[in-house]
Amino acid sequence: MGLLTLIVLLPLAGFLLNGLLGPRLGRTFVSLVGCALPIAAFLATLRAWTHLGGGESALVETAYTWAVVGGSSFDVAFYFDRLSAVMTLIVTGVGSLIHVYSTGYMKDDPGYARYFAYLNLFLFFMLLLVLGRSLLVCFVGWEGVGLASYLLIGFWFEDPEKAQAGKKAFITNRVGDAGFLLGMFLLYHALGTLDFDAINAAFQGPVAPAVSASLVGLLLFVGATGKSAQIPLHVWLPDAMAGPTPVSALIHAATMVTAGVYLVARLNGLYLQAPEASQVIAVIGVATAFFAATVALVQTDIKKVLAYSTISQLGFMFVALGVGAYGVAVFHVYTHAFFKACLFLGAGSVIHALGGEQDVRRMGGLARRIPVTFATFAVATAAIAGLPPLAGFFSKDEILWFAYASERGGSTLLWAVASFTALLTAFYMFRLLWLTFLTPSRMTHETEHHVHESPPSMTVVLAVLAILSAVGGFVHVPHYLEPLMPLPATDPTLHHLETPLIVFAVLTGLAGLLGAWFVYRNGLGRAERLARRHAGVHRLLSGKYYVDELYDGVIGRPLHWVSDRVFLRIGDRRIIDGSLHGLVAIAQRAAGRLSRIESGSLQLYVLLAALGVAAALALVWRHG
Amino acid sequence: MDNTSLLVTLSIALFALGLLGVMIRRNALVMLMCMELMLNGVILSIVAFAARTATVSGTVLVFLVFVVAAAEIAIAIPIVLQLSRRRHTLDVSAYGELKG
Amino acid sequence: MNAAQALLWFFAAGALAGGVLMLFARHPMRVALALIGSMLSLAGIYAVLGVHVVAVFQVLIYVGAVMVFMVYVIMLLDVRDPSFLRRYGPSLLPAALLAGAVAVALGAAVSRSTLAEAPLVASLGDPEPGTAFAVQPFAAELLERYWLHFELTSVLLLAAVVAAIAVVRSGRRHDG
Repeated sequence: MGLLTLIVLLPLAGFLLNGLLGPRLGRTFVSLVGCALPIAAFLATLRAWTHLGGGESALVETAYTWAVVGGSSFDVAFYFDRLSAVMTLIVTGVGSLIHVYSTGYMKDDPGYARYFAYLNLFLFFMLLLVLGRSLLVCFVGWEGVGLASYLLIGFWFEDPEKAQAGKKAFITNRVGDAGFLLGMFLLYHALGTLDFDAINAAFQGPVAPAVSASLVGLLLFVGATGKSAQIPLHVWLPDAMAGPTPVSALIHAATMVTAGVYLVARLNGLYLQAPEASQVIAVIGVATAFFAATVALVQTDIKKVLAYSTISQLGFMFVALGVGAYGVAVFHVYTHAFFKACLFLGAGSVIHALGGEQDVRRMGGLARRIPVTFATFAVATAAIAGLPPLAGFFSKDEILWFAYASERGGSTLLWAVASFTALLTAFYMFRLLWLTFLTPSRMTHETEHHVHESPPSMTVVLAVLAILSAVGGFVHVPHYLEPLMPLPATDPTLHHLETPLIVFAVLTGLAGLLGAWFVYRNGLGRAERLARRHAGVHRLLSGKYYVDELYDGVIGRPLHWVSDRVFLRIGDRRIIDGSLHGLVAIAQRAAGRLSRIESGSLQLYVLLAALGVAAALALVWRHG
Repeated sequence: MDNTSLLVTLSIALFALGLLGVMIRRNALVMLMCMELMLNGVILSIVAFAARTATVSGTVLVFLVFVVAAAEIAIAIPIVLQLSRRRHTLDVSAYGELKG
Repeated sequence: MNAAQALLWFFAAGALAGGVLMLFARHPMRVALALIGSMLSLAGIYAVLGVHVVAVFQVLIYVGAVMVFMVYVIMLLDVRDPSFLRRYGPSLLPAALLAGAVAVALGAAVSRSTLAEAPLVASLGDPEPGTAFAVQPFAAELLERYWLHFELTSVLLLAAVVAAIAVVRSGRRHDG
């Protein structure tokens, strides 16, 4: 068995062990299996990474031939190049940390073994997604992470609202998956292969494939909007916060939601030939970033703020993809994984400390009570706000620069909106920091009595992630990925603006910090006055632009109406039930008539038997 | 008319007569005997073809049919006796309530 | 037309007459006698064909065992049974038509089959009939090739015996 297969199979083994034996063998066993196998996968990934040569080289491994249809064979093959390496390291590395954290966070949950089984299952599918050589294997992983996400969002399924959130995530993703599938079919129809390397080569080759790159690109992007929560399919991610917090950190911040980014980056050869699709991606990305950031301004649930912030950051990544800076997008995936995982886990630690409280209006003053959580949360907040020299600064700055100067779709407008979003990001993140940790306490007496710092299994993970958020930006991922996906050319006349733009980006971050300090340093008073003065805007933002209500009105209700009136009442009850009842009535009436033959007269029976014989003989005579 | 045709025609006639008897006669015992006639018609056709083709297997088959006929009679006659003991009649129309 | 041929026609006429008589005879005993006549005629036909084994079986098993049994039973029965007086059931005409139809259909089926055109091996009425149907080839065929069928018939007979005893006993118990 090859190394790549091993990486993929280790979490699957964890899933099987924990899922089948976990409930019997106890928590120690579950924790050991649940954490050791992802860590082993991480170490195996490191080993594979050392085998990786420079530049464009890749490790290819065929684990299994899935199907041979005609001349083409569908293999379960793994492909490990620099892009896969970065993604796999993030998935296994951050994934392992979150597994360790979960041993503390989920300690008292009755579904402990089930939780770790699902988490390992998720890792398995995620690794399938990022290591798969072909779109087909990637798609299996893509669906699998959707399944694992569904299982984990609805982990506490006794609560109907949480089960509902799981369903919403799953169904919303299906809409995107339809696009993914169509794109895949088109590609296969045109190229006869689904291997990523072959697709990229075909679109880069001298002969253009007989399919519109933009059409395929847009269809695959529809899939990406589902998985990565971009407009218009972003609605599931905020609800997905119903799951346990480490799940939100792993799936809905660090790994799964970046699958869309990975997909587009992986197919950069295709998207380079699809300027229209790229344009759409950039616009959707920046719109999502902006709208999600505005919604995040007024959310009061600590996890919802982070969810909208995730949507917004994913928007940034898509902006980078849209302007052709694929490496930069992956760079942001990488830094975002650190600081957003840190933020979510910090939020989890806060919730853990407060015994389940999630509303920031009933927090405050926690800085001194849970110092480690505070310190790490602050570092991560500064990182996402883009303050130098933390990780977020580097990636966000590169995105803004390419949004402005890229010759593949960069523009001043794109940059302006993105920069303003960056300002909002800094503002709402520091708002969160102030409301949670720095303002005077607004906790109830009972909650306050209860506050305690989290166990070391959680705080150590937080510290590691905070350190990574701080220094991660010094690893220049775009440069590392350049042999695979060169950065787009920039307008030379704009080069003199690069330094002023960096300064400007830093200033926006600081402006957000100062704004949050000004509004929230004394608690909620000033913010509530602001909200009253702009009640309309506030209502629009707290209502999340009423997108859910819009979908319900435009899609949900008509669908329900059609299902009820047309399909249930007419189709099911009248046509299907009606025809069946009619057939039953006919059969009953016929049987009633025929049963009169059974008169008990032996001679009539003989007569009928003879009639049958004569008929059979006549038939033979006729056709024999 | 060659001999085989004659015998086959005879066998068909015996079969049809037996069948007619089963269909029209009221007496259960007579119906049984008419069935024997049908069986004899069938046996005749087997023998006729066996003789024509000199197939010994045909006579073995006839022998087996005899055995089966004997078994059939061995079980049918007690049933007829039971019927007549219960109702004092062998008219099958008197047993119309034996329907399902 | 040689003697064998004449005998064949004679016996055929006898068998047919027996069968027709069975339909018209009122009393079961006469029906039984007509059937016995028909069977003996058939035995004659078998003998003319040279299939002596079957002819002997026909006389011994059918006439000697089955029909004698039948006659005993008839003699046990009540003569005042109404079925003795009213011979026929209600559907006389359709039954007659149907029997005719079956006969025609069978005849048509046989005339179309290739068996009727099978090569003539044994010539009928041969003064010296072939040895094919002697007892020895018959026994060899039965016990070498069809021994399993032969054994199975013994199972069938056993089952018939058990069933007959069961029927008689259950009737007796019912009578109390």
